[in-house]
Amino acid sequence: MNTQDESLLNVSSERFQVLRGRLTRSTGDRIVAGLAGGTAARLGIPTVFVRAAFVALTLAGGFGVLCYVVGWLTTPDERQYGSMIVADRPATTSQEVGLSLGFLALLVILEAVGLWFGPIVWPAALFIFGAAMVWDRSSAESRDRMSRFARPTGDDSSRSRAQVIVGVALMAVGIVVVLASLDSFQALGPVAIAVLLTAAGFMLLFGPWILGLFEDLTEERRARIRSEERADMAAHLHDSVLQTLALIQRSDDPQRMTTLARAQERDLRAWLFEPATTADGGTVGEAVSAAAAKIEADFNVPVEVVVVGDRIIDDATGPLVASAAEAMANAAEHSGARTVSVYVECSKDAAEAWVTDQGSGFDVDGVPEQRRGISESIVARMARSGGEASVVSRPGEGTEIHLRSESR
Amino acid sequence: MTTIYLVDDHELFLSGVRTELSERFDVRGWSTDVDGAVDGIRKNRPDVVLVDVHMPGGGGLSVVANVLQTNPDIRFLALSVSDAPEDVIAMIRAGARGYVTKSIEPDALADAIERVAAGDAVFSPKLAGFVLDAFSNTVPVEADPELDRLTPREREVLRQIARGYAYKQVANRLSISVKTVETHVSSVLRKLQLSNRHELARWATERRIV
Repeated sequence: MNTQDESLLNVSSERFQVLRGRLTRSTGDRIVAGLAGGTAARLGIPTVFVRAAFVALTLAGGFGVLCYVVGWLTTPDERQYGSMIVADRPATTSQEVGLSLGFLALLVILEAVGLWFGPIVWPAALFIFGAAMVWDRSSAESRDRMSRFARPTGDDSSRSRAQVIVGVALMAVGIVVVLASLDSFQALGPVAIAVLLTAAGFMLLFGPWILGLFEDLTEERRARIRSEERADMAAHLHDSVLQTLALIQRSDDPQRMTTLARAQERDLRAWLFEPATTADGGTVGEAVSAAAAKIEADFNVPVEVVVVGDRIIDDATGPLVASAAEAMANAAEHSGARTVSVYVECSKDAAEAWVTDQGSGFDVDGVPEQRRGISESIVARMARSGGEASVVSRPGEGTEIHLRSESR
Repeated sequence: MTTIYLVDDHELFLSGVRTELSERFDVRGWSTDVDGAVDGIRKNRPDVVLVDVHMPGGGGLSVVANVLQTNPDIRFLALSVSDAPEDVIAMIRAGARGYVTKSIEPDALADAIERVAAGDAVFSPKLAGFVLDAFSNTVPVEADPELDRLTPREREVLRQIARGYAYKQVANRLSISVKTVETHVSSVLRKLQLSNRHELARWATERRIV
């Protein structure tokens, strides 16, 4: 292999790595734009910590909002890569510690440069991260058992219990520091503070559970839709594929078996992949594909259809479809080619079709009266509708019929 | 002799292809599942891997992705019953150098393998059509004009392939050498793999025409 190709290959595999590691916005795990979800997936940590980090940074002179907006503008949506995204591994403990230290350093720097909303930031950051730790642990548990909240210290692992304890401790320290530093809080009175604290605690403990209830409901509905779809598919397979397989088993003629198999394949593909709803009157691509299927069944010659762009059938494209069908039938019947290729391209200005076979071909200006008649009828039909058609063929070199109709 | 490795979860199809290809190629091995395939390919280091797209356990996509990480010099030709656009585009973007459907004739398949082994790209008429379609919607938002647009010549070559012509015939019809056709197709493959344009992904998911 030559060096150019080798470098091409290296570039492509490197690029693939980049795509894997690339930061994207999450479509599934999102509140605003999915940036936190995407960042969390990339770093391998729970999303709630990234959200906490953005909130804490926002207290630092609004820096978090700025980060978020910039991140939003510069990262692509994960759908852009479709199935290319490979799930990242969870972060190791040392990576978690590294991230935490990095975040602390960032806060210290922001304080040093003066992006700061005063003394509330540090205790608020403590409180936010404490809450994030408790929330993260609670939502992980609620995933497998909602009733866990009835006995919160039941059979938890030591790590999750430690996480809850540290989280609650951080929250408590944060609250105490806030209360001690802010005079205005004292004006609220002890009752208001007690109410606020109770409400916050309630949200932290039961929030994940309430969310979980909603998720379970959605999941249930999804499961029901899935089972309906499966029943629908079973019914369709029974009517079509199983019938065809039975027919093939009873058939002795290989040609007939091939035809049955091709027809069934086409039918199944149409059912599996084509959109259920089509525009009124159908499109050029659909009509040409349908004509190809019919010709394939009639003449036992595979017809490969490729459609680029598409358009609703109108006065100009109707004759194009009919002429293409005639050209296909002609090629399938007379050329002796193993396959017939049809290429349809619809652009803003025109619809075009090429019907190509690599069969016997013929002398366009010369003899076979029958084929010339057909190609002339195609040319005449296209001319009547304001389009044009040309036939290129030479004996032994196959035939290409080109049809074109301008948009009006 | 070009060495090949086959990956397909359909045993019947696998043994059929093996028989067809064993005369022209040195079949190093085969596998019917993703993990076995990744190990087998790393051990046997074939020139070309024929890989099915839909398989349990991640499918052809994860075979290509996993092997290319450790062995970037191994070439992949995707072979599938599916020619759904999203499958085709995903395989090519994962690093496959060609995509053919299982209905391909044995001789054409053998040619395709040789072509991939030589470092060229293999486009079926359908794949050529997909690329033309995906790159045709002329949305002016292009991050990288070099990657996000096809040259007129590349477009013309793809059109010929979409009409069912083999590379040699395309070369004749456009009065260029086969090597030039190969260069154009390889360049389109590169754009397909590297272009970040949104239309490509959106097109692949929205347009589910077979």
